[in-house]
Amino acid sequence: MIADGAPALACEGVHKTFPGGVEALAGLDLAIPEGSFFGLLGPNGAGKTTLIRSVVGLTRPDAGAIRVFGRRAWGEGATAARRAIGYAPQEVALDRFVPVRESLTLHGRYFGMSRADARHRADEMLMAFDLSAKADDYAHHLSGGMRRRLLLARALLHRPRLVILDEPTAGVDLELRYDLWAYIRSLHADGSTILLTTHYIEEAEALCERVAFIRGGRIVADGPPSDLRERFGAARLEDVYLQLVGR
Amino acid sequence: MTTAPLAAPRWRGLAALAEREVLRVLRLWTQTIVPPVVAAVLFIVVFGVALGNSIRVIDGFPYEQFIVPGLVLMGVATSAFGNNATSIYQARNDGFIEDPASSPMGPTQLLLGYLAGGVARSLLIGGLTLAAARIFVDYPVEDPLVLAAALIGTSLAFSALGAVVGLHSTGWEQQNVVGNLVIQPLVFLGGVFYSIEALSQPWRALTHADPIFYMVVAARHGTLGSSEVPVALSLGITLGLAAAMLIWAWVTFIRGVGIRT
Repeated sequence: MIADGAPALACEGVHKTFPGGVEALAGLDLAIPEGSFFGLLGPNGAGKTTLIRSVVGLTRPDAGAIRVFGRRAWGEGATAARRAIGYAPQEVALDRFVPVRESLTLHGRYFGMSRADARHRADEMLMAFDLSAKADDYAHHLSGGMRRRLLLARALLHRPRLVILDEPTAGVDLELRYDLWAYIRSLHADGSTILLTTHYIEEAEALCERVAFIRGGRIVADGPPSDLRERFGAARLEDVYLQLVGR
Repeated sequence: MTTAPLAAPRWRGLAALAEREVLRVLRLWTQTIVPPVVAAVLFIVVFGVALGNSIRVIDGFPYEQFIVPGLVLMGVATSAFGNNATSIYQARNDGFIEDPASSPMGPTQLLLGYLAGGVARSLLIGGLTLAAARIFVDYPVEDPLVLAAALIGTSLAFSALGAVVGLHSTGWEQQNVVGNLVIQPLVFLGGVFYSIEALSQPWRALTHADPIFYMVVAARHGTLGSSEVPVALSLGITLGLAAAMLIWAWVTFIRGVGIRT
């Protein structure tokens, strides 16, 4: 069971140092309330992707605790935590040996759905992301934009309560970006908690209710965009960002 | 969403991953199934049927009969290893291993799911090689249970080893090194084509140190009913090696080697 009333994501004192001594997370604390649309911003190497990979179970933190709806993301309870997360990684990594519909169905089954439920949901996602005509094609035959849509469809397939999108609009054209924005907004309106990382500050400003700036593996500022602008005396969120990264 | 107890998602995930791995083998059958079966049949035709007249009898069996179990086992061992080393490394290299790795599945389910492809492929190759060999050679199956245990044990051992190598590899060349410079020589020096009785020291002692020798001997016992060492020893080493390799692969998945940073 997922604990009611717990934050969608709670990180306490999370540390991660990679072999070679690179400290990616330096005692990071973060709480994302359920139902919020949260943006995580920071320069390259700030720790965004390491944090996300730690939440989804792909990077093992050295210390600290990560909880998803009150359940630990590592060790006991991880099954419930991982079922609650939908993750679209920054890199488009899709199974080249199975066609699109089957790729989605397999994902749903990896995450514990029955075969019939996963198939039904795959067809829903294909329709929602305008990929039905490509259902029997292989992912490596799709265009870049279609692959990006497929990645998002896959992340949402098992109906996760926390959707983590790592730079979902990187490298996509403007039309697709607006399509993706519309879909992500509708997801949020349906009650999903969204954690979005992006390099496009205007994207965070347009979509997110709260944003956090990460630098040197720590959260250095956190709040609604309007509060942050006021706190830093800035006209735009971009100016807050530039102040925080020391420009 | 269909509700399921918390243990169920992991096993549903395992079923899906195992299915994916087996389907990959079947869809790529011209690369995964046909070549090793054709290679084994060619060995039988060239070494057994064509050149067998110069050797005639070995350990009391016509040469073409003598080599069949070893060739079957050779196909099982090399395809089990190659399948898992390739499939896992490809999934890591392309990044799509992160999908099952970030799912509720634990190390046990990931291991079993990936083993399924290697085991299915190698046993299919073993079965097809046995069937194809029948066209050219009339051989008995004296002890089907021992033959099955030898082939399954070999399949598990090399599938697990392939998984370990697939997880540790940082490039395709490392798999080729293990496959071509370690496994292939051990297979060829494991008594597939000759009887250990024909060897002088130190070759006889060296062959006794080759674990694949015991696998070949167990398969030969199951097929021809003849064994160069007691069947309990050959089968014990085969199954013991399978258990050791499975534990090694399981620990490798638990440590997250090649999957989790």
